[in-house]
Amino acid sequence: MENKNSNNPNNRPPVRKLVKINTSAVQKSGNVRDEKSVQQKIEELMRQKNQQSEKPVQPKSEKTVQSKSEKPVQPKSEKPVQPKSEKSEKAEDKKPLSKNNKLSFVNAGVIMLVLLAGFAYLLILPRDTVSHEENRNLTKMPEFSLTGYLSGEYTEGLADYYDDTVPNRSFFKNMIASVFMPMKGVKYGDGVTLHGGTYENNKKANQRNTASVTTAAPDNSSEVSNTAVTSAVTEETAPVTTLPNANEPAADNGEITNNIMIVNNRGLMLYGGAWGSELVYADYVNEYKERLGNSVNVYSMVLPTAVSFYLPENYKDLSESEKDDLDSMAAAFRGVKHVDAYTALLAHKDEHIYSRTDHHWQQLGAYYAAQAFANAAGVPFAGFDKYNKVTLQGYVGTIYGFTQSADIINNPEEFVYFKPKDKVDVKIYDTAFQNPVDGELFMSTENMSNSDYYLTFALDDQIKFLHTGMKNGRTLVIFKDSYGNALPSLLTYSFENIYLCDIRYFDINAIDFIKQVNATDVLFSMNTFSAVSNQDYIKENIDK
Amino acid sequence: MVFSKLFFIYLFLPLCLITYGLVRKTKDKNTVLIIFSLIFYAWGEPTYVFLMLLSAGVNYFAGLSIERYRGDKKEKIAFAGAIIFDLLMLGIFKYSGFIVENINALFGISIPVPDIRLPIGISFYTFQTLSYVVDVQWETVKAQKSFKNFLLYVCLFPQLVAGPIVRYSTIEAEIEERSVTIEDISYGLNRMVLGLSKKVLIANQLSIIADNMLGNIETTSFVGAWYGAFAYGLQIYFDFSGYSDIAIGLGRVFGFHFDENFRHPFICKDITEFWQRWHISLSTFFRDYVLYLPIFGKRRKYGGLFLVWLCTGIWHGASWNFIIWGLYYGIFVFIEMKIGKKNMKKIPLVIRHIYSKAVIFIGFGIFYFEDFGQLGQFFKSIFGMGGNGFITLADKISFSNNIFLITAAVVFCFPVIDMIKNSRLCSGEKSKTATSIVTTVVSAVLLLVSSVMLVDATTNPFLYFRF
Repeated sequence: MENKNSNNPNNRPPVRKLVKINTSAVQKSGNVRDEKSVQQKIEELMRQKNQQSEKPVQPKSEKTVQSKSEKPVQPKSEKPVQPKSEKSEKAEDKKPLSKNNKLSFVNAGVIMLVLLAGFAYLLILPRDTVSHEENRNLTKMPEFSLTGYLSGEYTEGLADYYDDTVPNRSFFKNMIASVFMPMKGVKYGDGVTLHGGTYENNKKANQRNTASVTTAAPDNSSEVSNTAVTSAVTEETAPVTTLPNANEPAADNGEITNNIMIVNNRGLMLYGGAWGSELVYADYVNEYKERLGNSVNVYSMVLPTAVSFYLPENYKDLSESEKDDLDSMAAAFRGVKHVDAYTALLAHKDEHIYSRTDHHWQQLGAYYAAQAFANAAGVPFAGFDKYNKVTLQGYVGTIYGFTQSADIINNPEEFVYFKPKDKVDVKIYDTAFQNPVDGELFMSTENMSNSDYYLTFALDDQIKFLHTGMKNGRTLVIFKDSYGNALPSLLTYSFENIYLCDIRYFDINAIDFIKQVNATDVLFSMNTFSAVSNQDYIKENIDK
Repeated sequence: MVFSKLFFIYLFLPLCLITYGLVRKTKDKNTVLIIFSLIFYAWGEPTYVFLMLLSAGVNYFAGLSIERYRGDKKEKIAFAGAIIFDLLMLGIFKYSGFIVENINALFGISIPVPDIRLPIGISFYTFQTLSYVVDVQWETVKAQKSFKNFLLYVCLFPQLVAGPIVRYSTIEAEIEERSVTIEDISYGLNRMVLGLSKKVLIANQLSIIADNMLGNIETTSFVGAWYGAFAYGLQIYFDFSGYSDIAIGLGRVFGFHFDENFRHPFICKDITEFWQRWHISLSTFFRDYVLYLPIFGKRRKYGGLFLVWLCTGIWHGASWNFIIWGLYYGIFVFIEMKIGKKNMKKIPLVIRHIYSKAVIFIGFGIFYFEDFGQLGQFFKSIFGMGGNGFITLADKISFSNNIFLITAAVVFCFPVIDMIKNSRLCSGEKSKTATSIVTTVVSAVLLLVSSVMLVDATTNPFLYFRF
């Protein structure tokens, strides 16, 4: 292509005299013609042929077709008819419209109508502020500041606000999930869709991810603020305030990956494997045991996720084995008691122990795990008769926010939890174990959106203290991720005092804390994903 | 501001179209366009908008001076001054970080790397002003006397931030006097909707596949690597040509006739032809202004070729992978030149297609990876030495889940719309009406569907915003 226009000996584009109107068109048509492929020439010939046959009827037909070669002709043929070009539109309106004009008019009119309807719709209707399905607050109108404006953040923020807070957003989102997205293709095999990255042989990728996770400092920014915690505890404010502000759906860092497979209306987080980081986890927990000595029992109960139980046999390749990593962990503990939740849960896999639509488990699963732990700790454990069963309908959890899958949003499930019949005193501390306020064992779900029900157990950036009616002198500290939130209310007939602490939101020295509250037992309980990617928090918490 | 945002389509654009429609005189229409264009640009670049104004001012005066002092020494000063100014602007705002980093690496020193954010669209509007100054110097165009008119050429929002690189000669006459017919408006709006659909319905969805496959290249299989590169290549095509469609369509609504920027590049039979169909406004820019620079003496044919592809690469970004990407294409164009057109035609068509597509999609792999370690892994995978097997279950699932999307993308790489419109089916009076009505319905549906899809895409800038 480079030497095509080299007719000029100076190898410059030809110097031409300036004729005001037609010069550019001539030059253009020259260039274009040079480059035209055979096919385009044929297309052009066909167009000209069409034009010739229709010319008597429609002098200005085919203008919509891109053909530069017509351009030089246009001014000549049109100018005499319409000398004042700006007014041509108006002039045409007055003239009886040719058929082509009418069709164009209809076309332009329809598109303009859609644009104006959208303009009015987005401008006039009340804007959404929360997306319950995605479990997040929508973008807020930015506040004006000069620095914000000069950096472009203010204007971008306005545009983001406008785009994010579309009236009836969830209706459109549902339409995308149910109608448009399924049009991309077909489900694989038994009705499988994949969302997120690649899964097989995740060794190197996971090592890379682990590296990036471990260097990242604990980040509270996308999580719940302290004010939200206290207000939610006193139940003065609607739990809406517990939604994070970030654009990403609410998820605890390290607990959920983007690799989600949907099968049988169930979302499964595909497990990338620990590749050695399970041993690092074990080492860190061992360090707690060393520092605490024999007076304190230390347990580790790492919790498998739904992928261990519900991934169809023929897709086993897509996920690494959580069981293998749990076994490898168990073998590496020194003085730490390993609690085998895997076997306990496996025995009940046909019950509703994991949510289909959420990356968490159901409290029924937590019940069986808690039972295994109570046995290991040698404490009593209450049967179901000591609890009132609470069932909430219409639960659609975090998986929808991540996958936008129609299978999830259109197939809600029940959310079940167990309320101890006996009284439990609850205090909520901040993450530095200060400023206690009275709290409830379960947060009210009355004003919660149906994707948030799991929050009823606890929020993550707080320390929750339970004083039970048990008088056995046992005090338990649980270091956990949000999986662990479902445990304490099931242990109120087993321990006298329970402290629930999140490894990611803990601002004091963990050993000092354990000693300060005279703990007799320390339990590490989080899901496999957290244990193998968030283990650095466990270490940091004894170095504070 | 981005075209693929509801904010643009349903707020900025209607306001702009209404205001534009309300004024009658071309002069006033130009004023409206300039005001909206400046708002459009300042929305994303509240400070760099002044840089653009400065650039427009400098090049405007350079054009005037070149013409006034024709034959005089001052002409050369004005010309050289403008060229140096434009190149310096690019050098400072686009390449300074890259240059300093490489100097540091080369000499083992540590000059502080300047942290300058790339102004949106600088590569596009600087090339426009460059071409203008050169054209004035070469007397292919007359210098624009009115700064307002010149500013309109530089900042016209449809093409301002992601091309096409419009030559001054293309719209020289239309700046001062242009006619907009109802056909123009109708065509322009349809074209805009087409571009938006290409971006939102195809490119955005393909990007998910491309990122899945190429984003985890350490674990990608042989088929996965090809699948990813293929999806990524198509994604860029639909993204960028979609943007060009919107630019050309909006231009037409305002009465401007921009040149085509893409002509179904994937139907090419060799690499030379690919670049005659891909980002045409860029390749013709280099052809016209760089290829025959007399700096290589007698070897300028090949020297120029080398320079063009070096520039093509580096234009796409201040990173080595883009430079390699450009030179990579240069090598194949060179080989094809050596083989000669006649000999190329003797090669069976199937082989030419396979060869050109393989080169192109591997090329997009180079385009994707700025990290050399990952690029190396990509090459291993694409030649079956990545150590992750031939195909994985995840590849198969992804392929099933996206089979219709991929099919649609492939089909629309061919000039299907033109084929249908030019077919016998659509000739004749009655079918003309039918075709037009079908076009209207399809266009309206595409616009609505794309808009709904945009509810789900809070941030999805066009790829070519990076350049």
